[in-house]
Amino acid sequence: MASGDSTAEKMEPLPPESAGEGKYVYCIIRLDRSRDFGEIGIGGGARVYTVNYKDLAAIVSDTPIVIYDPTRENVLAHEFVNETVMREFTLIPMSFGTVFRSEKDVGALLKSTYQAFTDVLEKMQDKIEFGLKVLWDRDKVVAAIEQDNDEIRRLKDEITRNAASSTYFARMQLGRLVEAAMEEASNRYVADVHDQLKDVSVASRSNKVIGDRMILNAAFLVDRKAEKAFDERVKAVSRQYEDLLTFKYTGPWPPYNFVNIKLKLEKAT
Amino acid sequence: MGLLSNILLAPFLGPIYGTKWTLDKVDRVVREQLTDDTPIKEDLMALQMQLEMGEIDDAEYVRREAEIMQRLRDVRDWREKLGMSTSGGPVRVAEDETE
Repeated sequence: MASGDSTAEKMEPLPPESAGEGKYVYCIIRLDRSRDFGEIGIGGGARVYTVNYKDLAAIVSDTPIVIYDPTRENVLAHEFVNETVMREFTLIPMSFGTVFRSEKDVGALLKSTYQAFTDVLEKMQDKIEFGLKVLWDRDKVVAAIEQDNDEIRRLKDEITRNAASSTYFARMQLGRLVEAAMEEASNRYVADVHDQLKDVSVASRSNKVIGDRMILNAAFLVDRKAEKAFDERVKAVSRQYEDLLTFKYTGPWPPYNFVNIKLKLEKAT
Repeated sequence: MGLLSNILLAPFLGPIYGTKWTLDKVDRVVREQLTDDTPIKEDLMALQMQLEMGEIDDAEYVRREAEIMQRLRDVRDWREKLGMSTSGGPVRVAEDETE
């Protein structure tokens, strides 16, 4: 960005530090003037506004110097601000709970990380993130596997027919076969979902699954222009698998999973 | 005399060294458990998932969330006590970056 220098003079002198007040930072956007986003901030509706440096702005609200627990209430407040900003801007989200001691410290962040923020904002221009979690119903998947897999069906019939005499070994073998078939099925479903969403997304990332019913916990980076296409494709895939799998589809989110700027921050004393 | 004393003392030396080694290991494992918030965050995500799936109600969520928050605070306390870095709290750009 070559526009940086011309806007430098526009930066207003920083107001004196408000006593005991820190700044909670939600995200970074490109904007060369100040802007008020209303009383929607964390900690019960603090005013959300910008701290500007050249053509970058940090979206902040005043906060006492505290450590915010990631409670649902707090996380939703953080998220709500980002959602509001995201309606108009491409943004780089900050980690939940990032508090600076003063406006000056926020300015120092923008200044020291100016180039990295600018580059990433460029890359993320008009990109949004969607979350997709896929859960399966174990019983239904097992039933489907028994339908399709001759060997498993035969072994199971044999065990039920000779309930009394069926060996421990036969049961063990059945268990092992079912386990393997389930893992294979899980991999197949996951690969198919990724495949079908490939041409309507820019990138994807798989995160660790949560709980024993989840087989996919992924984030997709999507171009705003392709949002509708992505949406329709997700719905089509979930219809295709509706008897076996549950799709949990969320978004649009800021690109949490696709921005990785290591900020050199230290504890403020 | 060396060999004999070693052999004679071996049963005593053995368990003592063994115990020390085990304690070191226990100490390390305990420290890791006290100072690692990853499993706690995973529990929080699992709890949110349970709420989303309708497996627990709101009251149950709030109760268990409070427990998890306490565990997070405990980890933070331990990390502070042991002089490790903690997340949360006021930050600033590291000195050598701005000067």
